[in-house]
Amino acid sequence: MIIGNRMVQADNIIWRRIGDDVVIIKDDGLATHVLNKTAAYIWELCDGKRGIDDITASLCERYDVSPEEARADIMETIVNLTKAGVIKYI
Amino acid sequence: MTAPVGAPEDARQEVSTIKNEIRLRLDGVNCSLRCRDADDWKKLEKIERLYHCFITQESADITVELVGTNRLSPEALNAALAGNTFVHEKNIFRSTSQVVDGEYDLTRAYIKITGERNLINPDVECNHLNMLLSLAYYTACKIKYNDRPPAMIIHSCGIMRSGQALLFMGPSDAGKTTIARLCGKKDGEVINDEMLLVSRPGQDGKGFAVESGPFLGKFPSKRSLKAPLHSIFLLKKGRKTGIHRVDRSEAYLKFMRQIITPAYIGQKDKRAVLSLMSEFSDEITRSVPVYELEFNLDGRSLWRTLGELDK
Repeated sequence: MIIGNRMVQADNIIWRRIGDDVVIIKDDGLATHVLNKTAAYIWELCDGKRGIDDITASLCERYDVSPEEARADIMETIVNLTKAGVIKYI
Repeated sequence: MTAPVGAPEDARQEVSTIKNEIRLRLDGVNCSLRCRDADDWKKLEKIERLYHCFITQESADITVELVGTNRLSPEALNAALAGNTFVHEKNIFRSTSQVVDGEYDLTRAYIKITGERNLINPDVECNHLNMLLSLAYYTACKIKYNDRPPAMIIHSCGIMRSGQALLFMGPSDAGKTTIARLCGKKDGEVINDEMLLVSRPGQDGKGFAVESGPFLGKFPSKRSLKAPLHSIFLLKKGRKTGIHRVDRSEAYLKFMRQIITPAYIGQKDKRAVLSLMSEFSDEITRSVPVYELEFNLDGRSLWRTLGELDK
């Protein structure tokens, strides 16, 4: 359920940057998620302070992509991470 | 219910005067196993003979007092342990299968466990000796090293070859024991085919090291030894034998799954435990090469393939 516009990482996980990837592990130790370079960058911006627009602007600056492309990537990543239960809206 | 905790005032400082005690050394930790009953002592004597190369006379960092019961056959015990979990309340714990319970006092580095005697019988398949020693080790590390174990216990087969250690890991049935069995004298020396201690780089600037420990396996450690860690191999059964380097994320996750959970007794913070495992796995897979070893259970091609790595 979307309550707000900013995303924050869930409390019941640990995560670590491994090379270009981010590896997320739920605290049951069973569920793991490996994020590629772009998804890892988006993940690190889900800090509870930034909204979609802020993350879009950051991604455009970092990867030289159009705002439309960036937004599409971000929304796809956010949907997947939300479904996986590793981020939530606040 | 167990009797009230009856630990000595300071179990760590006490000089051994009790006959029914053995002290085992695991990396930088000394674990005392004690009992009062003669039948329990028979089991401890077996353990003493089995682990003679890890016996120490140094003062204990943790004391585990064992009180044996003898209600179930090994088969019934095995059945009771299936699906068993532990419930903790304050400093008391019990198993849902009701075959073991106990209490502990971390301020005195003391654990008392009342349980079926076969749980510490190295002759029966369903013994929990490895689990007991892991628990004692990590609990001692909580006290002695402020919850940061200098070494982790890793589910793996270790082979010492040319003075360096190779680790072979994978789920049960992946071929760890087969590799130990295929290791002839000219190929290397089996450190242990089940569990090992892997220590972090020390202040001496040397890297990760593999150390034998008092762990049961089909090929348990015959002597106390320590060797620098050369490479890690993730086992995969295949039609041929070959190796390739795995990427960091895969190596990190697969190594982490083979760490014996570094939880001390009464530990409730799962995130803290996972963080320890994650940090260790990250550190080791960053500095030690990790390969996938596809393995067709043939010894000659195995050692030839590993030999090519040295070239």
